[in-house]
Amino acid sequence: MENYIVEMLNITKKFPGIIANDNITLRLKKGEIHALLGENGAGKSTLMSVLFGLYRPEIGEIRKNGEIVKINNPNDANDLGIGMVHQHFKLVDIFTVLENIILGVEPNTMGFIQKKDARKKVVELSEKYGLRVDPDNLIENITVGMQQRVEILKMLYRDNEILIFDEPTAVLTPQEIKELLQIMKGFAEEGKSILFITHKLNEIMEVADRCTVLRKGKYIGTVDIKDSSKEELSRMMVGRDISFTVQKEKREPGEVVLSVRNLTVQSKNNKNNAVKNVSFDVRAGEIVCLAGIDGNGQTEFVHALTGLQKSTSGNINLMGNDITNASIRQRSINGMSHIPEDRHKHGLVLDYKLEENLVLQRYWEPEFQKGGFIKFDSVRKYSEGLIDKFDIRSGQGPITIARSMSGGNQQKAIIAREIDKKHELLVAVQPTRGLDVGAIEYVHKQLVQRRDEGKAVFLVSLELDEVMNVSDRILVIYEGEIVGELDPKKITVQELGLYMSGAKRDNIKENNNGE
Amino acid sequence: MKKTLALALAFLLVALSVAGCSKPATDNGTTPEPSNGGESPTEGFEIALITDKGNIDDKSFNQGAWEGVIAFAEAENITHQYIKPEEASDAGYLAAIDLAVTGGAKVIVTPGFLFEVPIYEAQTRYPEVKFILLDGAPRTADYATFETKENVASVMYSEEQSGYLAGYAAVMEGMTNLGFMGGMAVPAVQAFGYGYLQGAEDAAEELGMGDGAIKVTYHYTGNFEENDTNKATARTMFQEGVEVIFAAGGAVGKSVMSAASEADAKVIGVDVDQRYDSETVITSATKGLAASVISVLESIYKTNSWDTYAGKTTYFNASNDGVGLPTKVIGDDAADAFDRFETFNKAKYDEILAKLADGSIEVIRKIDVADAKGNATADELTSQLNLAKVAVTTR
Amino acid sequence: MANNNDITHSKKYNIKNITKSSAFSSFTAALMAIFLGMIFGFIIMLIAAPEKAVAGFRFVLLGGLKRIGDVFYFATPIIMTGLSVGFAFKMGLFNIGASGQYTMGMFFALYVGFMMDLPSGIHWIVAILAGILGGMIWGFIPGVFKALLNVNEVITSIMFNYIGMYLVDMMIQTNETMYISTMARTKYLPQSVQIPSLGIQGSNVNLGIIFAILIGIGLYMVLQKTTFGYELKATGYNKFAAEYAGMRVKTNIIITMVIAGGLAGLGGALAILAPSAIAGSSMTYEPINRIAAAGFNGIAVALLGSSHPIGIIFASIFISHIQRGGTLASLVGYKPEIIDVVIAVIIYFSAFAMIMNAGLARLLMKLVKHDDKVPNNTKGAE
Repeated sequence: MENYIVEMLNITKKFPGIIANDNITLRLKKGEIHALLGENGAGKSTLMSVLFGLYRPEIGEIRKNGEIVKINNPNDANDLGIGMVHQHFKLVDIFTVLENIILGVEPNTMGFIQKKDARKKVVELSEKYGLRVDPDNLIENITVGMQQRVEILKMLYRDNEILIFDEPTAVLTPQEIKELLQIMKGFAEEGKSILFITHKLNEIMEVADRCTVLRKGKYIGTVDIKDSSKEELSRMMVGRDISFTVQKEKREPGEVVLSVRNLTVQSKNNKNNAVKNVSFDVRAGEIVCLAGIDGNGQTEFVHALTGLQKSTSGNINLMGNDITNASIRQRSINGMSHIPEDRHKHGLVLDYKLEENLVLQRYWEPEFQKGGFIKFDSVRKYSEGLIDKFDIRSGQGPITIARSMSGGNQQKAIIAREIDKKHELLVAVQPTRGLDVGAIEYVHKQLVQRRDEGKAVFLVSLELDEVMNVSDRILVIYEGEIVGELDPKKITVQELGLYMSGAKRDNIKENNNGE
Repeated sequence: MKKTLALALAFLLVALSVAGCSKPATDNGTTPEPSNGGESPTEGFEIALITDKGNIDDKSFNQGAWEGVIAFAEAENITHQYIKPEEASDAGYLAAIDLAVTGGAKVIVTPGFLFEVPIYEAQTRYPEVKFILLDGAPRTADYATFETKENVASVMYSEEQSGYLAGYAAVMEGMTNLGFMGGMAVPAVQAFGYGYLQGAEDAAEELGMGDGAIKVTYHYTGNFEENDTNKATARTMFQEGVEVIFAAGGAVGKSVMSAASEADAKVIGVDVDQRYDSETVITSATKGLAASVISVLESIYKTNSWDTYAGKTTYFNASNDGVGLPTKVIGDDAADAFDRFETFNKAKYDEILAKLADGSIEVIRKIDVADAKGNATADELTSQLNLAKVAVTTR
Repeated sequence: MANNNDITHSKKYNIKNITKSSAFSSFTAALMAIFLGMIFGFIIMLIAAPEKAVAGFRFVLLGGLKRIGDVFYFATPIIMTGLSVGFAFKMGLFNIGASGQYTMGMFFALYVGFMMDLPSGIHWIVAILAGILGGMIWGFIPGVFKALLNVNEVITSIMFNYIGMYLVDMMIQTNETMYISTMARTKYLPQSVQIPSLGIQGSNVNLGIIFAILIGIGLYMVLQKTTFGYELKATGYNKFAAEYAGMRVKTNIIITMVIAGGLAGLGGALAILAPSAIAGSSMTYEPINRIAAAGFNGIAVALLGSSHPIGIIFASIFISHIQRGGTLASLVGYKPEIIDVVIAVIIYFSAFAMIMNAGLARLLMKLVKHDDKVPNNTKGAE
C-alpha cells in the first residue's frame, strides 16, 4: 500500500442502460507501466475518464499517495499531476504545435502570450524524450503520429507525473508504435507512472509491468506480466480461449469480380495524384489485401472505388459492368458492399437508432418501404434478426441510439449491414481498427466466411498481422503505386515491411494480376 | 410520438400552472377581482386613440392626434390610452376599436383616412361611444355609401389655407421663383396647391409687384413616394432657378429635401412641422391635428356642444387653429420657429392668419378640372384662381 | 453466467427508467423554458408599472383563452413559417429566408387575386397554390446555390429576404390594378379569393388554420414515416454517411429548400387571403420596404418546438396566445410598446432556453439516477 501513487477504489459509474464500471479497483505504483486491458465496452475509457475528471462516479473514491482526492474536472486532474492522451486527440487543427501545447496554460504578461520561454521548454522536452515535432507547423498539416507526440508533450509540458494513454497505438504505423513503446519505457524509468489502455496483447507483453483486466464493466483481476501469458490475458479479457491465427481452408479463386485498370485519382488535399495508374483484379472466393503505410493513397483509392470521389482516369469494372462513373447507389446495387474506414464519419448516422442504421443501405428496397413509406415492422424484425445473428450488444436493442454504443458494437453493426446485404464484392477498409481481440477474431472470421461463400473480398489494412493472416494475396501500395504483388505464404513480415516502406519494389505488369 | 406527447403535456401543464398561480396572486388582494372573471377590469380608460399602421411617434397623424389627447386629458384629469392594432387591416382596426370599447372607452380618436371603413362599422356597433375621425369620413369599403352617424365627428382640414400661408410667406420672404410638387391630385393635395398659388398672388399684390413677377412651376408627381424620379424632377426645377419647392405629397418631401440640400435650395414641408427632417425646410404648411382633437374633446367634456361636430364633417381652419405654419420649436419654448426666414416673421404671420381667421380673405379650395386624374392645366389655374402676378407653368 | 443474468436484469430495469426520465426531462425542459421566459416577462411588467403588473400579467397569460378564434387566426402564418424553418433545419439547413419566401407567397397570391378572374369556388384555391409556388421559387434559388455551388444558405437566404421584399414592393407599386397610391396599399381583394371563414364571432379565423395544422401533421408523417424523411434526417445528422449510403444529397438539399419555401409561401398566402369581418373589405399589402416579421417569428417557434412539426404547431399557438393576451394587457393601462417587449422576452427566452434542453435533461437524469443508486448497486456487488 505504501508506494501506490494512485488508487481508484470500488468505482461504480452508470450510464443509461448500462453499468460502465461496476465496483472496480485499480492501484497504480510509482514508476510502473500499468496496462488496463479489456474488450471494447469493457469500461476502460470510462474508468480513465473518471480518473481524469470527465465523469464523476456514483460510488467509490480516488486516492493519491494515500489521501482521498476529489477530481471534478480535468483541471483538478492536472493539478494532481494527472495527464491524458485521448484516443481522439483534443487538438485545435488551425493552431500550431506550440500553441496547442501551451493551450490553457499560456505563459503571459499582462495578457500577452510569451511564446519564447514556452518554445524553449517544448524544444528541451522534445529532445530529451525523442519526441520529434516541428513547433511551428499547423496541426492540420502533420501526421497522426506527430499529433500524438504533441499530445504527449502537452502532458510533459504540464509536468504531469501520472500519464494516461488511451489506446495510443490504434492510429500508429508499426514503426511509430515501436517508437512510442520505447518512449513509454523511458518515462517509467524516470519515475513517471503510466496507465496504458489497450487491447493489443503484444504491446502489453512488451512494455507493461502489471495489467488490470476488465470485462463488461467488472473487475476481473490484476496480474504481473512476467508471471502471465498472452493466452491467460486474453482468456481473462474475453472469458474464453481465443485463437490468434485465422483458420481458413485453401480455395481456388473463381471468376473476376472486380477489375481495376489504370486508375488514377487526385489527392483531396492537393493537386497531386494520390493514386497512380493502378491496375489489378479481385476474383470470387479470394481475399485480396491492399497493404501499405497510412497515407500512401489507400483512402483516395477506396473513395474512387466506392464512388465517394471521382477518379481522374482509368476504369473500374464490377461483375462485368463499368462502374467508373456510376453513382454510389448504382455500385451498391451492382453488388458492392463497403465497410468504411471512418465508421463515425461515413459508416453510421450516430444520432439514428441502431435499427435505422442497419437499413441505411437498404431502406429503399421493397422489403422496407412501400410507396415511399418505410415499413417499420419489417425494419424492426430485420434488425432484431441482425442483432441476434451478429451479436450486436447495446443498451436498448434496435432502438439504441448508435452514438451510445461501444466502438466494437458499432463496427459489428456496420459489418452486419454490409454483409447481410446482397453483394459480390466486400470492400473492407481497416475493419478491425480500434477493436479488441475478441472482435478482431470475429471480423476476420466473417471475412473468411465471405470468401468461402464465393464472394470477392478486398481488404485494406495497415496491420501487418492482419495482412499476413487473412489475405490470400497481397498488393502493396507505396506512394500511390502498386509496388508488389505478394503471396502471404511465401514472404516474411520483414520482407513485406520493406515493400511497404518503399525500400523494395517489383515491376508489376499490367494484366499480370491474378494469373 | 413520445416527444410529441411530452411537448403537448408541457404546454398543458404551463397553462394549468399559470392558471393555478395566478389565483393566489389575486387572492392576495393586489388587484380587485372583477366579478365576471377578468373581462373588464375596474381600471379602464375613457379616451382611447387607435394608431394606424405607424407607431405613436410617427411625426404625423398618430403623434399629432395623440399629443392633442394627452394635452386635453392630462389637463382635465381624464384616463386615456392608445392602442396598437394587432394587424394593419380594416378588420384589425375594427378589432382594436372593439378592444378600446371593452376597456371602457367613451371617446375614441382614430387618426387618418385608413379608419374610414372601420368607423363606418363601429358607429353602428357602438352607438353610445363617440368617435373622432381625422382626415376622413365614414364609408363602406366599396365607396357606395358615405354616412356619418350622430356619434361620429369627421374632422377635415382646410389645406387651402395652410397652402395659402406657405405661398404668402415664400413671396414675402422675397422669393420670386417658386415650385410646387404635390403627390397625386387628390382633393387635399389640390387644396394645398391652389392655396399656395393664391397666397403667392396676394403677397405679390401686397408688395406691389408687376404682373407675372412671380413664377410658379406646378407639378403633381402621381405618387406619394420617395424615389429617384421625384428627386430628379426636384433637381431639374432647382436647376431651372426655382428657389423653394412646396412638397405636398408625403414621402415626396424626402426626395425634394434631398435634392434641395444638393442644390442649396429651400423646401416647404407639409402636414406636420418638418423642420426636424432637414435644414432645408424653412417652414411647413401644417394641419393642427392636436388642436382639432382638443377642440372636439372640449365640446364633449367642457362646453357640452358635441352637436357642433356630430354627424358631419367639420373643416378645421385658421379660425380654430386647424391649419397654419409652425410657431413653436419642440423642446425649446424660447426658440423662434421662423428663424429660417430672413424677412418674414411671426408678426407678419399673425397678421395674415388673423385675416384668414376672420374671413376677410377667402381661399378657393376647389376648381373645375377637365383631366380625369385631377391634374389642372396652367390655364385652368390662372383663370379660376384669378392669378395675375403669378405666372404658372405646369409640368 | 450469473454475471450475464445480472446485466440483463439491470438493463431491463434501466430501460424503464430512461424512457421515464427522458420523456420527463424533455417535457420538464419545455416547461422550465417557458416558465423562465414568463418570469422575466413578469419582471419587466413589474418594473414598468408595479401596481398593474399582476392584473396585466394575468391578461398576458390567460387573455388568449377568451380569444381562441384570434389565437388560431394569428397562429396560422407563424405555424407555416415555423414549419418552413424547422423542416429545413431537420436537414441541417438554416432557412433564415422564410420572410422573403413568405412575402413572395403573398405577392403570387395577390397577383392571382387581382389579375385573374376565376369562379369563386376555385379562385382562392388557385391563389393559395400560387402562393406556394412563389415561396417555392424563393426557396429553390438558395437551395441551388447551396447544393451546386456550396454557398451558405444563410447568406443567400438573407439576401433573398431583401431582394424579395424590394421586388414585391416594386411590382405592386407599379401595378395599377393592384395598388392605390393614395392609400399607399393594395386595393381590396375580391370576395372570391378570400379563404372561407370558420365563422367564429369577432374573429377572422379561417380554413387556413386547418390547412396549417394538417400540413404540420403531414410533415410529421413525411419526416417519421417516409424514405424521403429518413434520407432528409440522415443528411441533417451526417451528410457524409448519407452520401456513403448512396442518397442524393444535393438533390435532397434543393427539394428541402423548395418545400421549406413552399411552406413559408403558403404562410404568406394564408395571411393575405384571410377574410375580413367587414363586408367588401380584405387584407391589404403595404409596400413599406419592411421585411416580414413572420419569418423571424418562424425561427422562434421552430426553436421552441425543437423543429418538430407538432411541437411547432403547439409553439405557434402558444406564442399567438401570449400575443393576444398581451394586447388585452393594454386594458389595464400598459403601453403597447411595453407589452411588445414583454412578449418578445417571453418568446425569445423560451426559445433560447429550449436550446439548453439537453443540458437540463442531463441534470435531471442525474437527479433521477441518484434515487435508484442503492438497489442497482446491491445487485451488481460481487
